[in-house]
Amino acid sequence: MQTLDQCALGAAVEVDHVVGDDPLSQRLVALGFWPDARIMVEQCAPLGDPTLYSLHGYRLALRRDEAVRVVVRAVVG
Amino acid sequence: MISEGKELTIAFAGRHNAGKTSLVMGLTNTTQRPVNFPGSTVHRTESTVTVDGQNLRAVDLPGIASLDALSRDESVTISYLRGEHGQEIDVLCVVMDASKLRVELSLYRELTSLGLPVVVALTKLDIAHGEGWDIDVAALSAALNVPVFATNPYTGEGIGELRNAVLAGSMHPSTPLAKDPSEIADQVMCSVKKSTRNLTERLDQLFLHRVLGLPLLLLIIYGVFQAVFIAAEPAMGWIETGQGMVSSWASSQLSEGALNSFVVDGLINGVGSVVIFLPQIVLLVFFITLMEATGYMARAAFVLDRIMRTFGLSGRSFVPMVTSVGCAIPGILATRTIEKERDRIATIVVSPLMSCSARLPVYVILIGAFFPVAYAGTVLFSMYMLGIVVAVLVALILRKTVLKGGVSSFLMELPHYQRPVWRVVGGQVWNACAGFVRMAGTIIFAASMVIWLLSYYPRCQVIHDAYEAKIETVEQSNSSDEEKEKAVLELQNRLRADQQQQSFLARAGKAIQPIFAPAGFDWRTTVGILAAFPARELIIPTWGVLYSMGDVDPGGYEPSLLGGEEFDRSSGLFGQLRDSRRADGSRAFSPLIALALMVFFALCSQCMATLAIIKQETNSWRWPVFTFTYMTVLAWACAVGVYQIGRMMGYS
Repeated sequence: MQTLDQCALGAAVEVDHVVGDDPLSQRLVALGFWPDARIMVEQCAPLGDPTLYSLHGYRLALRRDEAVRVVVRAVVG
Repeated sequence: MISEGKELTIAFAGRHNAGKTSLVMGLTNTTQRPVNFPGSTVHRTESTVTVDGQNLRAVDLPGIASLDALSRDESVTISYLRGEHGQEIDVLCVVMDASKLRVELSLYRELTSLGLPVVVALTKLDIAHGEGWDIDVAALSAALNVPVFATNPYTGEGIGELRNAVLAGSMHPSTPLAKDPSEIADQVMCSVKKSTRNLTERLDQLFLHRVLGLPLLLLIIYGVFQAVFIAAEPAMGWIETGQGMVSSWASSQLSEGALNSFVVDGLINGVGSVVIFLPQIVLLVFFITLMEATGYMARAAFVLDRIMRTFGLSGRSFVPMVTSVGCAIPGILATRTIEKERDRIATIVVSPLMSCSARLPVYVILIGAFFPVAYAGTVLFSMYMLGIVVAVLVALILRKTVLKGGVSSFLMELPHYQRPVWRVVGGQVWNACAGFVRMAGTIIFAASMVIWLLSYYPRCQVIHDAYEAKIETVEQSNSSDEEKEKAVLELQNRLRADQQQQSFLARAGKAIQPIFAPAGFDWRTTVGILAAFPARELIIPTWGVLYSMGDVDPGGYEPSLLGGEEFDRSSGLFGQLRDSRRADGSRAFSPLIALALMVFFALCSQCMATLAIIKQETNSWRWPVFTFTYMTVLAWACAVGVYQIGRMMGYS
């Protein structure tokens, strides 16, 4: 089990859960980081942060300290 | 059924980038009017259309991601949707981006809890098709149990049907979803072809490139600047010529005296000095809107976020600050793209520190008069750097004190690149310019009047009579006509200077000169500073009058002058400043004093238009007052610092 910020560029993962229950964590869920959602790590900004992810057919950028809340697992099969 | 003649309110809600604004503009065919939510700085835009005698009021709400607000504008939108503003919403139009239907449906599920009559507008179906998906609109409508319309802002498809359905009043309150949003999405989305690597991905490989991303951004910004300043120049010339024609016509129609001076110097030139910026504003707003509409702005924020965060700002603060190097007014308008209120206010408050184009003539004249040509470029560049460095430091301090708060979250969608809907771009440019012209016509008009009153009155009859007598003598003398004319002009200029020297403004300048003495400024410079508070370049015509040179046009002092071969630093205002003496016979200026004065101009808040736009954009007097105070105090302190430290180091 790892967090989204630890995933390498180009990795495809599935969301396990989002840590915490504050507004930011709730927002991450509302944006599509719900269990079993598939995430691709697309690109990172020239200075290494934020990173661009794709999920549900759209592209969303998260900072490292936001991505750390998303616990992910490797895609099985 | 909705009764005849009643106004029908339709509110548009959806995520950021869902395409609400294009849809609303397509629906009502009119440009939108920004309306502030009561007691907040958040804008919603409204527009009205009349169809068959029935008014349809379309309210375009700021984007939301869920009914739990993270930011201020979201919370205002949500309380509006909940009816807490006391305004009735007849129909809620949920705008859904078809290319990410799954996430859209999760927001839709939350919105059904509001119990409002709902209609759904699907947008960006072309993008969904491009990614290999087709959406069964009828099945979606059946699954949600509300009408669903597929819309396209480029062709207008579906928009008329949506409007007719709303006017027919056939909506009924939405019902909770019977199934899970993901299940519905699976049911209505069918894969028609394999998704290929699309244009957005390929463009992002380039624009977000680890090495090329940042240089490309700088290149684009530089290109926009060049385009704006080059393209605005002829139009600014026309305005200047037009203003000249209007003032000379007014001058010829009115007899010499107070009314003439009031109309020409006070009103026409006062308002004209602000309207002259309109072409730059039109072009800058156009390019910024274009960057926003194509989707590039989100990329710029993405690339720069890390740097801006160091100073307590976010990636979105960059464009307003860069724009402010041209003019703070479009820069401040560009802060509307910053979602978080505190980031936005911090950006608004520091943007006027960027050295704008109105400071340039002041720098040019002082550098030209007091610095060798070899150092001119370096001194000019360091003035621009000073503005940037101070802006960043002030932002950092503000974010740690009055605008304290955790760094706002980023969570930014990078939308698909798309070609702009020109009508929408045009409408947004129009809105920005109409606001600016309204402001020039009211606040600036009033302030110009006050400054004119202070610089014209009181008139001293004794001085007037004395000069009239001298002019009379010259005209009666038997010198040549040419000599007479020259002598009369000279006397008229001296009359103006003497009258101005005892005006309220000059008296105030002399009275407060002790405040500026620690910075080395004499009373004429102090008067110039006072006169320059409405617009900083006004110090040049004021100097012109005080040094009895007649009318001096700040537009004549261009940077190219500094490198010119035939540049004569002993002539004109350059020479007057160099030779100027104080009452005790010592020189009024030195390179050190010129430097202190430039630092003062770099940092001081001397632009009514900027303060007015801050008032407009923050919807409060608090921030313009704050900006004016901190900038003026900072400018004074830094000017004094430069002069005093310079003196300690042995310069005079």
